[in-house]
Amino acid sequence: MLGFLARRLALAAGTVAAVVILTFTLVHLAPGTPMLGDPERTLVSPETIARQRALFGLDRPLPAQLARYARNLLTGELGESFTLHRPVARVLADALPNTLLLGGTALLLALVLGLAVGALQALRHPSLWDTALSAASLVLYSVPLFWLGLLLLLVFGQELRWLPISGMSDPTLRETLSPLGRALDVARHLVLPAATLGLVQGAAFARFQRSALIESLGAEFVRAARAKGLPERLVVLRHALRHALAPTITLAGLSIPYLLAGSVLVESVFGWPGLGRVAYDAILSRDYNVVTACALVTGILVAFGNLAADVGIAAADPRVRLEQ
Amino acid sequence: MVIATTGDADVLLPPVTTTTLGSNVADRIFCRLAELTLDLNTVDDSGFRPVLARSWEHRDSTTMVFHLDPRARWEDGAPVTAADVAFTFAVYRDPAVNAPLAPNLAAIDSVTAPDSATAVFRFRRWYPEQLYDATYHMRILPKHLLDTIPRARLASSEFGRHPVGDGPYRFVDWQAGTQITLAADSSWFLGRPHIARLAWRIIPDLQAAVSALLAGEADAMELIPSRNQLERVQDDPEIRLVPYASPFYAGIVFNLRRPPFSDREVRRAIAMVLDRGTIVQSVFGRFADVAAGATSPMQWIWSDSVRQLPLDTAAAAKALAARGWRLAQGRPVRIRAGVPLRFTLLVPTSSQVRQQAAVIVQDELRRLGVEMRIQPVEFTVMERRTVGGDFDAAFVSRTIDPSPASLLQFWGAGESNIGRYASPAFDSLAAAASRARSRAEAGPLWRRALEQLNEDAPAVFVFSPRNNAAVGLQLENVSIRPDDWLATVSEWRVRAASDRGRERAAGR
Repeated sequence: MLGFLARRLALAAGTVAAVVILTFTLVHLAPGTPMLGDPERTLVSPETIARQRALFGLDRPLPAQLARYARNLLTGELGESFTLHRPVARVLADALPNTLLLGGTALLLALVLGLAVGALQALRHPSLWDTALSAASLVLYSVPLFWLGLLLLLVFGQELRWLPISGMSDPTLRETLSPLGRALDVARHLVLPAATLGLVQGAAFARFQRSALIESLGAEFVRAARAKGLPERLVVLRHALRHALAPTITLAGLSIPYLLAGSVLVESVFGWPGLGRVAYDAILSRDYNVVTACALVTGILVAFGNLAADVGIAAADPRVRLEQ
Repeated sequence: MVIATTGDADVLLPPVTTTTLGSNVADRIFCRLAELTLDLNTVDDSGFRPVLARSWEHRDSTTMVFHLDPRARWEDGAPVTAADVAFTFAVYRDPAVNAPLAPNLAAIDSVTAPDSATAVFRFRRWYPEQLYDATYHMRILPKHLLDTIPRARLASSEFGRHPVGDGPYRFVDWQAGTQITLAADSSWFLGRPHIARLAWRIIPDLQAAVSALLAGEADAMELIPSRNQLERVQDDPEIRLVPYASPFYAGIVFNLRRPPFSDREVRRAIAMVLDRGTIVQSVFGRFADVAAGATSPMQWIWSDSVRQLPLDTAAAAKALAARGWRLAQGRPVRIRAGVPLRFTLLVPTSSQVRQQAAVIVQDELRRLGVEMRIQPVEFTVMERRTVGGDFDAAFVSRTIDPSPASLLQFWGAGESNIGRYASPAFDSLAAAASRARSRAEAGPLWRRALEQLNEDAPAVFVFSPRNNAAVGLQLENVSIRPDDWLATVSEWRVRAASDRGRERAAGR
């Protein structure tokens, strides 16, 4: 187990380093220039911009910039944002917890929803329920995130006014609330963005879970369990469902990039101040240091997600040996 | 009052902020010596009202003296002094700070503080907009809090995220990417603002921002740059649109370094074939005007009577033929010496309206036998290519200052003149207008300069949007100064019977 973890961590470190170098190079080679001022809003003279470029070392050759970035990175220094005038580490420290909260909640919601709906469909297969839920999950899975977010926002935020539309907290009430009140306020603001991400991902989980459980329920070991006279509840929960979890766990691990990418859209629609928005704005304004740091963090999260999925599968299915 | 906005701020320090929100917030925290009144008369002193300076006088043709209001205080209780004014000028002019507005202060030679209540500005020459330049481009900074910070680190200093000012509002909180909150300074020397709190809520998606407004989560929005979204707001009984003159104009700038636009007659022919009224009507409906020239309705020189090239397709075709650009039988594009009359128009992907307008322009030019390719590019790419001269034509937008002198920034000598237009006639008219002592004298000269630009057609000035601020009906006494929509916010009021409850929540 430890050997497996060490190998995978070494592999992950190599992958993340490659992602960082590739991102740094690509973003510098991309057409455009760091937006050190908005000339359509404030007249910033080209001379001013040239001075700013020199200040950030952007006038040096690309290999020199990369070498400097790598040196800084090894000492834990992520540089400064050109556009936000802040250390990149602080920009990420502000945004990352929000994205983890949103993505984590959405993943949890998707797992609960996907497992429950998938299991219900498999146990009722074939039936009208199964058909109806299959159709519903297919529709949800096909819906563009952006569109679903706007739809939920219009219905539950603007029309029914049940839930807040944007941000993480009420700007005027926040200071008057107790710590518990603030937590509940954040939870209320979390509902719509997490539901948007979680519903789409949950639909995918449900489809996989349904297929896997149907297959498990017809497998030899399930028939043997039934033949032993085990109650049906135990047959399903202890044998069939446990075996059928592997595809969903794998998918959950692989869904981390999807959740991070989806958070770009969802965070924009709901004004959620997370990493996705930071990365999106940084790409548009060619804020190289922030883009590269976002790639670094995303790479680490994805590597961690895959590793966690492998460990999870081994825990769910004793036939899987991590050393293999 | 909660204000919905689509972009976060970069820093809340006036010399270095380059974002709309950064300016909107910092401008409530830091004051100028004097403020323009609503009619934005930049030429003579009658267009200004005192703020930090209680009064001012022209000692001679190149010296202005400002007498500071002794009641003005920084948030920490320290008085606002002439030393702060001199320090502010030094900060703005310091190349290490790299203040975007520093070039606007080039005519000021020095600022000194003979005593704590008197600031003396010395100019390099006499000109009518001395008061405007001395007051408009700088917001006074606290020397005692900033002079220990290295100038090159000012933008990234903690002060830029937790500013201490002398304005009607004090900084409370900035949650990156979410919201910025200010509270009214109850002891502000010019009177406590009526609205207790200002909170900017950052919602990047325009449709979601408008939904927040319609759902009552926000009380106001600066402008809504989309016809569909404006119409959504217009139908809401709890919100009203407050129109105000726009500080923007947009147009197609030609690169005069390159053929065919090095030829004045080709540019004029293209300008004469574009039906800008139809373009504006199709894209904006009634929410924009055809641009009268390189100005916007915000500037006092704007006039519908500024002479423009006529819409005359026949004359345009004739002019092109006279320059050798002829349409061969059965060919859609004019050719001269084997070279087709075609060019590429850069349009930023961030502007849906300019992309829509470009398609109509393309269609109208096709009828003249001119092939225009539309190349949508990211904003940063467009910026790089236009500044570097790597373009045929670009659909650009400009936000201009209240002063007509901004004409010289974009069309006079300098790097910001991206098409490299050069005209002694224009330069001479603009220089004469800059020296005129009154609006009555300067107005005709500036308008002739605009007409010269229209005649030479270094660009086709297509539209200037009609700005509308959206404000909840609970807000009263709302007036908007076009260059800074919240300039008068300390005079806005919330109706006592308002059911939105935000003022109560804010402790009033």
